[in-house]
Parts: sequence; C-alpha cells; structure tokens
Amino acid sequence: MRSRTLLAVALVLVAGMAFANGAQEGAAEPIRMGGVWPLGDITGEQGSKSAQLAVDELNANGGILGRPVELVVIDSEFSPDKGAAAIERLATIENVDFFIGGMSSGVHLGQIPALKRYRKITMWTGAASHLAEEAIGPDQDWYFHLHPWDYNQGASYVEGWTAIAERYPDIAIDRWFLAYEEGAFGSASFEATQQLFSDMEISGESFQSAAAGGGDYTAVLERAKEYDPDVFIWAGYDADALPIMEQARAIDFAPPLFVGAPPGWPASFGESGLAEGVTLYGMWAPSLNSVSDVSAHYYQSYVSTYDEEPATYFAPLGYTAVMILAQAVEAAGSMDQDAIIAELQNIEYDSALGETISFAPSRVISNQGIRQQKILQWQGGEQQVLWPFEFATSEPEYPFPSWDR
Amino acid sequence: MSSIEQRPRRRAPWVFAALAALLAFLPLVAGPYPQTIARSVLTYMMLAISWDMLIRSGQLSFGIAGFFGLGGYAAAIGATYLGVPPVLTLVFAAVVVGVVALLIGAVVLRLRGMYFAIVTLALAEIFRIVMHNWSSLTGGPNGMLLPRSAFDGNSVATYLMMLVLAAVVIGVSEWFRHSRIHFALTAIRDNETVAASAGVNIYAYLLTAFAITSGIQGAVGASYAQLFGFVTPESSFNVNYTLIPLAMTLLGGMYGTWGPVVGAVLLGVVGEYLKLFIPYGHLLVYGVIIVLVILFMPRGIVGLVRGHLERSRRTTTASEKGGAA
Repeated sequence: MRSRTLLAVALVLVAGMAFANGAQEGAAEPIRMGGVWPLGDITGEQGSKSAQLAVDELNANGGILGRPVELVVIDSEFSPDKGAAAIERLATIENVDFFIGGMSSGVHLGQIPALKRYRKITMWTGAASHLAEEAIGPDQDWYFHLHPWDYNQGASYVEGWTAIAERYPDIAIDRWFLAYEEGAFGSASFEATQQLFSDMEISGESFQSAAAGGGDYTAVLERAKEYDPDVFIWAGYDADALPIMEQARAIDFAPPLFVGAPPGWPASFGESGLAEGVTLYGMWAPSLNSVSDVSAHYYQSYVSTYDEEPATYFAPLGYTAVMILAQAVEAAGSMDQDAIIAELQNIEYDSALGETISFAPSRVISNQGIRQQKILQWQGGEQQVLWPFEFATSEPEYPFPSWDR
Repeated sequence: MSSIEQRPRRRAPWVFAALAALLAFLPLVAGPYPQTIARSVLTYMMLAISWDMLIRSGQLSFGIAGFFGLGGYAAAIGATYLGVPPVLTLVFAAVVVGVVALLIGAVVLRLRGMYFAIVTLALAEIFRIVMHNWSSLTGGPNGMLLPRSAFDGNSVATYLMMLVLAAVVIGVSEWFRHSRIHFALTAIRDNETVAASAGVNIYAYLLTAFAITSGIQGAVGASYAQLFGFVTPESSFNVNYTLIPLAMTLLGGMYGTWGPVVGAVLLGVVGEYLKLFIPYGHLLVYGVIIVLVILFMPRGIVGLVRGHLERSRRTTTASEKGGAA
C-alpha cells in the first residue's frame, strides 16, 4: 500500500514537472537585442539607458509580436578589440537577434569583421568615419546606419550655413578660422572644412586638447583674433569647452559667430554663463520637445526614469534604434530576417530627433538613415535649434555678445 | 632517499607545461568569444613579455605603443603597396620595426634611467604624428584599411596564428633568460660599472635587446592590424598598449617570462568577466584590484609563489636537519 502511494506521488511529480516544462516551452521566447556602447562615457551610458527605456516601454505594451523584449548591454571600453569581443559574445553566447548601439569609428572598425561574419540585422547609432562605411562595403543589406557619415555632416553644415546666411542677410560667413585639436577628430574637421567651404577664406591652427593633456588656447585664440573672422569654430572635446571660453573672455575675443563643434558638451556648460550665444552642431536638444511630440515623450520618460536630463544626442539615438527595429518586426509579423529587412527598407519612423527616419543608399552602403546634423545655439542656458528651419525653436542670437555683457 | 625528493621537482615543469598547453588550446573548443578574449590576452601578454625583456637590463621603456603602432602601419603599408601576404606582414613588420629601433637605439641608448624612458615616450608620439600627417601614404587621421585580413578573419585560424606568435615570443624570452644575454643584462642592471670592467659590451647588449624587443612589439602590432583589418593613428598608438602591459608585468612579477604571462592571463580574464557583472563601473574595480595587488605584492604573483615555495623548502630542509641531529 505504502509503495503504491509512493508510486502515485512520484507519478504526480513527474507529470507536474512535465507540465512545468511544457509551460516553459509554451511561454513566449524573448526577442533579444544586443547593445554595445562605451559605458564609461556619457554617450554610451545615456545611449544604453535610453535603449533600455525603449525596451521597458515595449514590454509594458505587450512586447513585440506578443513576445517580451530583452536588452543585453556590453561595454566596448572605447577599444576595438573589446568592442569586437562584445559582438562575439552577443552572437554566440547571448544569442541575440539584433545588434544595436555604437559610438566611435575606431571601435566600430574593429567590430566590422565580426558583424560581417554573423550578418544579423544591425542598427548602428555611431561611427561617422567614411572608412567604416568602406569597411562594411556594398550589398550588406542587414546593416543599417543611423548616424550621418562624416561627408553627410560636412554637406549639411554647408547647406545649413548657406540657408542661414540667405535668410538672415546680416549674418556674414565669408571669413572662417578653425581652431582644431591636433588629433584625428580635429584634423579631419579642418580638412573637411577646407574642402567644403573652398570658395571662402579659411585659416586655422591646431591646439592640444585638454583631454590630451593640453588646455592652453591663448596662442590660437590670439591668432584668430588677429585674423578677425566672421565665423570662429573650435573642434575639440568637451574638456576644452569651458577653458576655451574662459580664455577667449580673458583676451576679449568675441567673433560675430562663435561656434563649438565637440562630440559632446560638459553637463554644466549651459549654466556656466560662458555659453550664451555659442553656436554648435548636434542632432537633438530638449528644446525640440516644443516641436516634436516624440521628443517630448522620450524626454519626459527618460527624466522620470533616471532622474537626470539626456545630455547627448546619442541618448535619443539609442531609444530610436530599438523603436525602429520594433516597428519593423511588428510590420513584418515574424522574425524572418528578410521580411524585417524589407520592412526596414520601407520604414518611415517619426523619431525623437525630430525628423522622420527612412533608409536609402549612401556612397557605399544600402541603408543609411540620418544625413543631417542640426545647427543649434546656446540661449538662456538651453540649446535652441536654428536650422533646419522646420525644427527651429529660436531665431539666431547675432552677433555673439561682447564679453562686457 | 634523495632520488625520491628530486622526483617532484623534475615533474613540476611538465605538469606546468601540460597545464599551459591545456589553457592555450581550450579556447579552440570553447567557441569564437573565448577565442577573441584569448587573442586579446595573447596580444597584451607578448607586449608585456617584450617590455620585461628590456627592463631586465634596467632600461625602462614607455615606447611599447609606439613600436606596436609602427608595426601595425608597417603591416598595412606592406600589404597595400608591396603586396606582402597577410601572415608574412608579421615578419615584415618585425624586421622594419627592429631596424628602426636599431637605428634609433644607436643614438638613444647612450641615455639611462628616466632620460631613456622619456625619450621612448616621445618616440611613440613622434611615430603617431608622422603617421597622422603623412596622409598620402598612411591615410592621415582617418587611417587605412588592409586589403584583406589574415585568414579572412577566421577566428580559429587567427587564434592559432596568435598562439604560434606567443610561443615564439615566450621561446625568445626564455632563450634570453638562459643565454649569455641574461647574465650580461642582469650585470648591467645591477651595476653598469662593474659589468663594463668585467668585459661586458654594454652598448652592444642593450642595442640587441632594444632591437629584438621592439621587433616583437612591431610583430604584435602587425598581428593586431591583421586581426581587425585597419590601422588609425588613435587606435594603433593608443597609450593603453603601453600602460596595460606594464600593469600586467607588475601584477605577475618582473624579470622573467612567467610573471608577464600570469599577469596577462589574470588581468585579461578578470577584466572581461568583471564587466559582465558590473557593466557600469567595472573599470574602477579593475583599477582598485591592480593598485591593491601591486601595493601588497610588490614582487608580483610569481614572485610571491616563488618566495612561498622557497620558504617551505627551507623549512623542510631545516626540520630534516633538526631531525637528523
């Protein structure tokens, strides 16, 4: 009798386990996205947090195709080999369905061989160097690039400044001086400016960025002051922003247009009192909330979730990458790669960056998303959009205010 | 009795070699991700060994990143303009960088201590600036893509390539330790005047060590370029290629082959795993670990283990003598 009872209990347990396994198999498998960012940098930290925000929103609304969404994030550490290892791990151990993220062309160049090996749908938010585009090569229909390439950016600056000068005849843009950090980023900016604005008077001089141990800009600022340009641009890093403005004030250098072109700004720059009237390039600013509902929704979600402001355009780019993929998968109705690629190639996504994103061929790749940077200006401690005019949130403050403001 | 005592000592190197072989070949069956991590570990390991080979003479070099980057560019230029096959670019880069180091070393090896260290640091920067500005040859700030990477990027084949290169570097380092060069370099480090009076040709030995170690760094730079298929001034001459091998050597222990090997394996693997568990902030923990280990283990892990083994051996010998008495 006792043995029969034991047998019955065992059968119930086995049946229960089988049911439990069956229930697990029946549960919807998550759709997995693998993200690689430099997490020690504000661009990567906020980009990855924004991607997670998008994933949380999707899951709160039932996921994608009724399946939950998971985001696995790995730090690239700004290193090509670490970035490549992250792709290998995401592909072979985490078994992700999509690759997203990215910042830095150097890291991306290291990742490209691994990306080409796995050929999973990739929605990349960083890397502007045309060398990365050449490394990807033509006919890679799985590769989608959101960030504009360097030549797209250069062309958009020419277009933007020309449009601004036409609309506001007081604004002169004939004489340029570029102060550029002596590394790859600054030197490439100077070369590109010389080529793009070849019909204008251009001069320039390099400086050692504070990020590379420098920080004394007096000589280059004195030369620029002597040159008396219509437009003064400095191309360096966020570490240069405050000291370059301080030193410009010290020598009373106030050109009519004072433009800064770092990839990111110090979080406190707007509050510094040195920012007023400084023009900059970027893709997004909180002021876009007044002209874009998607931007306002993203901004409010980010601030309420993380109790901080997104301070770089890589933040909304991370959010956008996830949302574009989600929209394409829903439209495809399955996880079939070809069907999703077809949907992505026809997508029109209203993004938090203001513009509606669609993909079209660029010089080499088949699927290039954004092609424009915006021209913005610090006004009253906030970045206002000056151009493209359809997203403009303010009129230009011109000329740059004198230092006895 | 004595033969029984000696047996474990004879067996130990074989056990160590078998373990090392197992560790070396483990990534081959573990998949592409462990292979990528292992390739990275081997890269830094070779740089750490080469740095240690020169420091055995007392000459402190901060020029690893410079010769590493120069090797990468030599490989890229050799493959692009001279049609050197991918794997042979490693040899090509080693020779080019070795010759460059020989020419530079002929001048700078008159310097000692911090003067030499600062010159090597400056050399790395000069190489970077030359590559950065010689746009017609090197692609300038944007760098250049290699026509094709070694074994078309096959992860097993490229791992084996790195393994063979690492074995060669370990072999050269061990040859250094068991040849006249070792005694000469040690004598130079201990007391240069005494070494010179004993007939050691200091200049020739230092020049040989500098050229060989720089050649190794050039070959490793070439292998890195072949693994990822590109070179840029910023990534190829990154200061991490100087700092990380130094940290690995200090962690593992200086003045020998196995200290850098142990340091590279430990820091490489720990660094990778830390970031999986602490995605935001792992570099801070990594840095704290390095500082603590260097503070509390100034002779490195290998030095600590050796010291422990020597102490226990002395204790055993003393107790045997006591027992016999």
